[in-house]
Amino acid sequence: MDRFTRRRFLAATGGITALAVAGCTTHTPGSDPDAGNLSGNKAGAMDKFAVGDQFKATQPLDFSIMMLSNPSYPYNAHWPFFTDLQKMTNVNLTATVVPLSDYNQKVGVVLGAGDAPMIIPKTYHPAEQAFVSSGAILPVSDYLDLMPNFTASVNKWHLQGDIDQLRQADGKFYLLSGLHQDVWLDYSIAVRTDILQQHGLALPRTWDDVTSTLRALKAAFPGKYPMSDRWSSTPPGPGANSLLAILSAAYNTQAGWNYQHTTWDQRSNRFVYTGAMDQYRQMCEFLHGWVADGLLDPESFTQSDTQAEQKFANSDSFVISANAQELVNTYQKDLAGTPGATVRKIAVPIGPAGAVKVGSRLENGIMISSSARKSKNFVAMMQFIDWLWYSDAGHLFAKWGVPGVTYTGDVNKGTFQLAPNVTWAGLNPTGKQNLQVTYGFFNGVFAYGGSTALLNSQFPPEEVDFQKAMDARRTLPLPPPAPLNAQDQQQTTLWGTTLLDYVNQQTLRFILGKRPLSEWDTYVSELKAKNSDRYVDIVNKAHQTFQQKHG
Amino acid sequence: MVATESRPVHGTPAVRAKISAGRGNRTFRIVNGVVLTCVLVVTLYPFVNLLAQSFSSEQAIAGGHVNLIPHGFNVTTYRTVMSDPTFWVNYRNTVLYTVVATAIAMVLTTCYAYVLSKKHLRGRGFLIGVALFTMFFNGGLIPNYVLVNDLGLRNSLWAIVLPNAISVFNLLVMKAFFESMPSDLEEAAVIDGLTTYGILLRIVLPLSKAVLATMVLFYAVSFWNSWFSAFLYLDHNNLFPVTVYLRNLIAGATTGANEGASSDTALQVAANIQAVTIVLTVVPILTVYPFVQRYFVSGVLLGAVKG
Repeated sequence: MDRFTRRRFLAATGGITALAVAGCTTHTPGSDPDAGNLSGNKAGAMDKFAVGDQFKATQPLDFSIMMLSNPSYPYNAHWPFFTDLQKMTNVNLTATVVPLSDYNQKVGVVLGAGDAPMIIPKTYHPAEQAFVSSGAILPVSDYLDLMPNFTASVNKWHLQGDIDQLRQADGKFYLLSGLHQDVWLDYSIAVRTDILQQHGLALPRTWDDVTSTLRALKAAFPGKYPMSDRWSSTPPGPGANSLLAILSAAYNTQAGWNYQHTTWDQRSNRFVYTGAMDQYRQMCEFLHGWVADGLLDPESFTQSDTQAEQKFANSDSFVISANAQELVNTYQKDLAGTPGATVRKIAVPIGPAGAVKVGSRLENGIMISSSARKSKNFVAMMQFIDWLWYSDAGHLFAKWGVPGVTYTGDVNKGTFQLAPNVTWAGLNPTGKQNLQVTYGFFNGVFAYGGSTALLNSQFPPEEVDFQKAMDARRTLPLPPPAPLNAQDQQQTTLWGTTLLDYVNQQTLRFILGKRPLSEWDTYVSELKAKNSDRYVDIVNKAHQTFQQKHG
Repeated sequence: MVATESRPVHGTPAVRAKISAGRGNRTFRIVNGVVLTCVLVVTLYPFVNLLAQSFSSEQAIAGGHVNLIPHGFNVTTYRTVMSDPTFWVNYRNTVLYTVVATAIAMVLTTCYAYVLSKKHLRGRGFLIGVALFTMFFNGGLIPNYVLVNDLGLRNSLWAIVLPNAISVFNLLVMKAFFESMPSDLEEAAVIDGLTTYGILLRIVLPLSKAVLATMVLFYAVSFWNSWFSAFLYLDHNNLFPVTVYLRNLIAGATTGANEGASSDTALQVAANIQAVTIVLTVVPILTVYPFVQRYFVSGVLLGAVKG
């Protein structure tokens, strides 16, 4: 009988390793010396393409694209969106259809296998970082001269600081991010306005008001927790991640699903470790007060969304985290059977940081596969992307479709209305045809970003009020860029995983009262033992290096 | 789902009477009955709950009122889901993939297992090693993808059925079963002039119905439930099996709420739509089980305890 001896095994392993090593190539990202020479890549491109121009390829073109299929409106190749787009731009999109459930995984595999479509939309920063060092995606910042609409929006809306957040250690960025005119805040808390009215309570404006409201509700319903929260399964926070996110912003720190290991401290002009900030402690103390007084359901941090929704639907709780969609699609629907029940998303309560808002004006974006650069239609493709995703006409088309067919009026004049037979997310509920399902417009792959007027056109009056209240707040500047090189990234990821687990665990213990806040200093030294200081040092060094190199 | 079955103890009537008269045996039966009833309840509850949800109104589900009996009874959701052409296209794909994949898997596994069961085969150890190696090590996601792509299998039925054609676990069970067959039978067949293929087809397989039925069940269930290969190697939604459709519906609804995610991904798919789709997906494979189950225990056990 043949035996697979150890010697043979070693020989085989050695051979495989040698082959693997031979197959590796070193790649310096963004180091294409031929980046500027586009003479062979202009087939089908417009000679002069500027802001305000309708892009139309000079010959029929076909671009491959990763297409996320949303279960609410599964991809359909025959959508009017695609046929109209082809008529307008002479471009056909060949889609690799990927279910929303596992989109990122498929993007990772096809990019890793070197077989990606040319256009890879729906990428959330910093997901693109994983593909930079392999050279699988293009440094799009090298090709902005082909994108007049993108450049104009960045200049017009002063988005340079936001864009800098995308830059990698080489000073370039690899993601064509969606651009918003203003910071768009969607998440806040929803309250049962009918219950508030019954007890003579006003809508809370500040976090202290929220505390008083919860106290009054607790007094009225001693057996219930006035607030029972949700979004506890979404990383990276310890639970109740939306609540922690908006509350931390009010304290000038970051928590919940906004948690970042480092926060920019303007006073000391350097990054500090978020989980060890004094503001972070104050936030924990504040929430601990809620839990200790029975105002916040301790299960808020562990229960499923469905459980929290059930409590809210059954009037077992009266306050819950919310966004515009959930308000309409879940809370209002669930409470429809409760006589007199009304629910409203209040403006994000104000905290010690004042009437400010913080956030990026960037949306998810597009990666361009490196192989697309070799295409003879590369320039036309960049012009097409620029028109569809960044021009006013492109925004309007992707979002609302064709005037006279799917909508009437003008978003800038406030006269916008969906066509009588068309419905979308609670707008025009009597319409029989869904804008997304039937027509393919307002597809998350194409329709995002744009002017505030365009954004507000999608909201019911109540949400427009919310947005107006939020627009009135001062926008805080974003932290300066501190892109890490590959080695530092690896190191910080290693430390970050342990640190995040520990911060989450201890945050919960502080909030739930399982660890007294008097032990905060001990906790901070425990974080240091887990390399929080070294983490911050690396980020600060990266910031300084970037400043020196790219100013 | 693994079927458990308690079979009566075999023996002469006198022995049976003696055993059943024992107090220990009675206690055992009671405990056994109680434990198995508990297992039954725990196993059945989610199914009944799901069934109740599928016939309930969305509000009743959101309010947590649905347990075992539907609240706000309606069949509107069934109508909605069943009127979605993509659902049926995907359903047809699942049936096709399951049938073809099971057929291929059965042919390959049977041939491989039969060969391996012959102790006099030269290189048998190596062939077993090759199979076992893949049980513990695999090429990894991206190399597999590259391989399937380079072979031109992507976006075809073969990408689903070929890479998973042989399950090593099933192979070993089958090999053990074949090994347990008396060699005299085959020797007699040789004397009667049968070739190797003749022996396999006319002697061995007819005597292996139990293990074959079990393997068909194992393969069919695993192919019916599988979604990953389809998700990885297929790029068009009219090629997807219904499991990908279902996964997108459920996972898409739960992973939606992401900070900064544009509100579109936060769209909820109603709980009753999920329930209906799950019920419709599970029912066919569930109905196959009772018919194959009688082979199930004897099939696996006969393979495992070889003399």
